[in-house]
Amino acid sequence: MKTKLLLTATLLAFASGAAVADGAALYAEKTCIACHGKEGRKALTPTYPKLVGQNAAYLEQQMRDIKSGARANGSSAAMKGVMVNPEGDEIVTDKDIKELALYLSKLK
Amino acid sequence: MKRILALALTLALAPVFCAAGGPPAAKQAGIEAKDYKWNAQEGEKIEALKLKGNAKEGKEGYEVCGACHLPSGAGRTDGTFPQLAGQHTTVLIKQMADIRAGLRDNPTMYPFAKELTDAQELANVSAYIESLCIPIDHGRYEGPDSAKQIADGKAMYEKECIECHKPNGEGVKDKFYPVLAGQHYKYLLRQMTEIRDGKRRNANPDMVTIIKKYDNSQLVAISAYQASLVMPGSMCKAGAAKPAKKK
Repeated sequence: MKTKLLLTATLLAFASGAAVADGAALYAEKTCIACHGKEGRKALTPTYPKLVGQNAAYLEQQMRDIKSGARANGSSAAMKGVMVNPEGDEIVTDKDIKELALYLSKLK
Repeated sequence: MKRILALALTLALAPVFCAAGGPPAAKQAGIEAKDYKWNAQEGEKIEALKLKGNAKEGKEGYEVCGACHLPSGAGRTDGTFPQLAGQHTTVLIKQMADIRAGLRDNPTMYPFAKELTDAQELANVSAYIESLCIPIDHGRYEGPDSAKQIADGKAMYEKECIECHKPNGEGVKDKFYPVLAGQHYKYLLRQMTEIRDGKRRNANPDMVTIIKKYDNSQLVAISAYQASLVMPGSMCKAGAAKPAKKK
């Protein structure tokens, strides 16, 4: 029983570690890092938000809304361009959004 | 009167936007205006063009650019971000200045162009980018008919594009004509379409006149051919993306 528990714990820890690595790779690949800085800690300009530790649900909602155009205020035009290209093709998928939100929310 | 009022309003609001770090990128009259003069030699671009760029120092400044355009300058094969490596400094400086001045609309690039205000740094970063070899794994036309598209595109390119953009897509540095070799197919197609349709407001009117008569399918073929161009001596070697020439 103990072994099983330990194994499960190890697997879980491993899985969450992998998720962080994937999230970090995705965060760089999708160019979030260019404006929000490494791990969302330092934004390009003071009018851009820090993302580190932000609520996953909030991050996800904002990303979805900027992508769809429902949110078009502030600097969202700059961000929309990295989520959907001018031809309307998706660059950041909804699955990516979930993963990014989770990654950022877990950072401390 | 209305125009004056609009101008006054814009001026009055400008500081507010600045204070808010506001998103509405600058907007300047471009090709849609009657008195538009392409590549007017004025403004901050002149200063950067006059300075001698130090590629070595530009490497540091390029780090920010590399987040989107990649450290190699390759951009993204899906054409979201253009390939920059080996581009003429003149072209790089002009495009940066145009984006910053609101003459070329690009909301994603604008915040970065806005930050890079130091003429010497702009010259340095441009010199660094120009010194990079052109990656060869860029986005190309992918379709079962690519051989035909490229052949058709070649015929059109050699008729009207070649004079300015040259046989291998080298462009002309001192005329601000860009290097096309190694550029992503989708980026080329988008730019040509936007130039034809008046959406690229900093376009060269001579090019607009030429490109106006081409339909979408012709632009596809021309882009397919352009993306197949190779500039001998400037391309990266297979498997390596390192600076080709040190300056």
